[in-house]
Amino acid sequence: MTPDLWVLLALVGLPFLGAAAVPLVYRVLGERTAYFAALVALACLGLVGLLYGTEGAQSIDWIPALGIELRFYVDGLALLIATLASGVGVCILTYSGGYMHGEPGQPKYYATLLAFMGSMLGVALAADLITLFLFWELTSLTSFLLIGHYTTESSSQYAARKSMLITVAGGLFMLVGFVLLHAVSADALGTSTWALAGEGSMLENAGAMRAALESEGLLVVALALLGIGAAAKSAQVPLHIWLPNAMEAPTPVSAFLHSATMVKAGVYLVGRFRPLFLPADAHPGSLELWTLGFAALGLLTMTVTAILAVAATDIKELLAYSTASHLGLIIAGFGFAGHLGAETGAFHILNHALFKATLFLVAGIIAHEAGTRKISELGGLREDLPITAGIAAIASLGMAGVPPFNGFYSKEFLFHAAWETGAASGGLYYLIPVVAVFGSVFTFLYSIRFLMLFFGEKPDELGHVHSPPVSMLAPPALLATLAAVVGIGGITGTFDVPLGPLEEFVGNVIHAVEPAGAEETAFHYYLPTTVTPWAIMSGVTIVAGAALYPQYGRLHDGIRSLLRGPVRANWWYDTATEELNPTSTAVRDRVQNGLLRTYATWVSAAFVVLTFSGYLATNVGVPLPTEPATYLPLALTGVVLVAAVSVFGDVSLRTATAVASVLSLLAVGIFVWAIFGFGLAPGELATQPPVVFVLALAAVAGIAVSRAPSHIAGVLTLSILGFMVAIFYILRDAPDLALTQLVVETLVLVIFLLVLDKLPAFYGGWNRGRMARDGVLSLAVGAVVTTTVLVTTAASPNEESVIARGLAEASYPEAGGNNIVNVILVDFRAFDTMGEIAVVSMAALSIVTLIALRERGETR
Amino acid sequence: MTEFVLALVLGLLFALGTFLVLRRDVVRVVWGVSIISQAANVYLVTMGLLDGTVPVLEGHGEGAGAVTDPLVQALVLTAIVIGFGTTAFALVLTYRVYEEHGTIDLLELGGETDGN
Repeated sequence: MTPDLWVLLALVGLPFLGAAAVPLVYRVLGERTAYFAALVALACLGLVGLLYGTEGAQSIDWIPALGIELRFYVDGLALLIATLASGVGVCILTYSGGYMHGEPGQPKYYATLLAFMGSMLGVALAADLITLFLFWELTSLTSFLLIGHYTTESSSQYAARKSMLITVAGGLFMLVGFVLLHAVSADALGTSTWALAGEGSMLENAGAMRAALESEGLLVVALALLGIGAAAKSAQVPLHIWLPNAMEAPTPVSAFLHSATMVKAGVYLVGRFRPLFLPADAHPGSLELWTLGFAALGLLTMTVTAILAVAATDIKELLAYSTASHLGLIIAGFGFAGHLGAETGAFHILNHALFKATLFLVAGIIAHEAGTRKISELGGLREDLPITAGIAAIASLGMAGVPPFNGFYSKEFLFHAAWETGAASGGLYYLIPVVAVFGSVFTFLYSIRFLMLFFGEKPDELGHVHSPPVSMLAPPALLATLAAVVGIGGITGTFDVPLGPLEEFVGNVIHAVEPAGAEETAFHYYLPTTVTPWAIMSGVTIVAGAALYPQYGRLHDGIRSLLRGPVRANWWYDTATEELNPTSTAVRDRVQNGLLRTYATWVSAAFVVLTFSGYLATNVGVPLPTEPATYLPLALTGVVLVAAVSVFGDVSLRTATAVASVLSLLAVGIFVWAIFGFGLAPGELATQPPVVFVLALAAVAGIAVSRAPSHIAGVLTLSILGFMVAIFYILRDAPDLALTQLVVETLVLVIFLLVLDKLPAFYGGWNRGRMARDGVLSLAVGAVVTTTVLVTTAASPNEESVIARGLAEASYPEAGGNNIVNVILVDFRAFDTMGEIAVVSMAALSIVTLIALRERGETR
Repeated sequence: MTEFVLALVLGLLFALGTFLVLRRDVVRVVWGVSIISQAANVYLVTMGLLDGTVPVLEGHGEGAGAVTDPLVQALVLTAIVIGFGTTAFALVLTYRVYEEHGTIDLLELGGETDGN
């Protein structure tokens, strides 16, 4: 049965609508907005419930021209992530009601949390690559806002920036991967598509897609790009560094985004693309590129971050590293080919969300009630927080992988998959199960350390610890109960009374991440009843962990002493970003130093360089005239210009006259030569003389302006330039422009004269070096403009599609006007004219303000 | 052919405008901006795609097919008016700057903001 489109749209849209309503609701409900938000999440959970039992894609057109759709797809994996997002959302929002009591910025907090939940639901359900990317980046954006919730704290700002940089940059890599897949899909499917799942999609034709990727040699590239995106989001080594800093966010945010949902987006992506890259007949020993990449990445992350978790001094830091470690476990699981890998990944997503969200909420209770998060300052909390201690025990034993708690079963699947993969290839590949056990020992260690916060002796400095309010206790209790139920399901499963609905639910997830055509087996989990290599691996983990636990303090100190300098991934990040700061400051001081000429120089130079390199890169030819007749007006202009330069130059009148007469004689000579030498008719030469003459005069006026000895002389010559332009407009059949230009020129002249009356006779001088530099730059600008005019006037676009033709023809029938320019201004493009009038009025108002304020005696 | 002369003249006007914008005297900078915008307007008008008669029709709109491009003319008309507004504003700003700081030397003005 395919899902209902309206349910899908409502599910994704509802949280955003709720977010938009939060500011209003907050005015009425105040701090109880938390429960409004929780209700929205509950409604979403209900909508997710409606989707159970459905499978398939629904889509509506979004940008049809590019083939982009708003496409949603429902299957086991999508349902799992959607259930987690909305279900854990309900718990978190309820918990926030207690936790955020008296905190600043609550409307923003709840609105962002709801928007995040909507984005996460979008990520889970989106089946169009562009839609997926959109929601993906929305989760990064909302996460940025939530991490930086305490906007005035510099550590919050640092953390928010870091997470934004890493996750958004990773998302861009992923986008490139998506575009690549889109391009390849044209070869694989006949038509290019953005659809990831559903009819005619990439996943449906996974075999063809894989073959096309391989034949074009893009398989590694695509895999790497998607892998970087997933690794950045899911905090895989070495991109894990943003996650511990993200703990600056309020604890409910850490529990929701940075354990149960957002970081699962990367894992989700890996699971979603697994069927695309793994062939249906892949078995643990076949060692596809996929397995080598993701199993290695996952195991590395799992081990490294588990070790780092042992070195943590803060309970949230410990949980953050542990989250990265468990995400590594899931990625490794999805990395292994075959059924076992899928079981590991799918089941651990659920288990991890249950115990990790619980533990974060417990950490929130500890921080809130005990007033500290330092591991060394905490202990014996069981006396004051008995219920919380019980909750923490269930969750942390699950995290440690102790039977019969929930984490044990999925870790057992990992050991099984690792063993099978190692055994299938033999030799060095036995390192895979060894590394899995090694990493798990550290997992066991830090899990027990967290649990021991509740046992042992209570330090004296720790005063009385209050009991948390019900709204903070109920959500973790509920999650821990669910974790316990999963664990109990394993016990009863051992005696052939399995937890049917749960196994079916997880089975559907596994089905979603298995390649099409893979052998289908029902999902069951139970305690080991026979001695197998993987059962022994679990045993070794627990025994080794228990044996090492008394040495925890030494391990903790030992790891910390190793973490110095370039060993830390953070060192690279900090060095890179800190080194960039002085560079950017230096560039700013050089380019924008408060002097207008510096700004103008950089802008003009950039204009010259960019335009010229554009022409060079595209190999644009400059159309030079070939007929001799063309050169005559040119020669004439040249003569006039040189004459003008010498007249306005710093030369004596006698020299100037001499140069001008020689040049004039030369010009006459050229004309005579053209007429008699080439036989050109004088009439032919006279086709465009008025325009040439006017332009030449305008150029002379321009030269005169720039050499003007006084302000008055400059303004008068500037006016000559303006009037020449007006005449040019008349010659180019633009009477309206000429009229406007004449009026404007007259007004400008008046204003100039009025203002100049008040200004001092300062003309500023420069040394010759500077003048020469400015001259070279100006000539370069002029050369670029000349080239551009030549290139653009030579090209003629398709006359058929000229907008002006349509406007001219519509002028009389539609607007009843004969003057087309007027019709365009006051009718067809009347809003432009309104904008223009607005600009002029703004200028007038500013002028009045500038002058009137001064006259009232205000100095600033 | 005229295009070639036009290209040269426009290049020259842009060069002169740029040169003026780089001066120390604020008034010259205003001139430079003014020259550059005049040149840009001329350029736009010549970029009109259609060649023909004045875009004013006779009687009941006959001859609409033979007119020169009216769209660029409308655009440039708007540009001229806005250019007028900005030039006037820039001039009054220059006046105000002089009143505030007692100078229209950009070097001195730049040095002052540097010090703050």
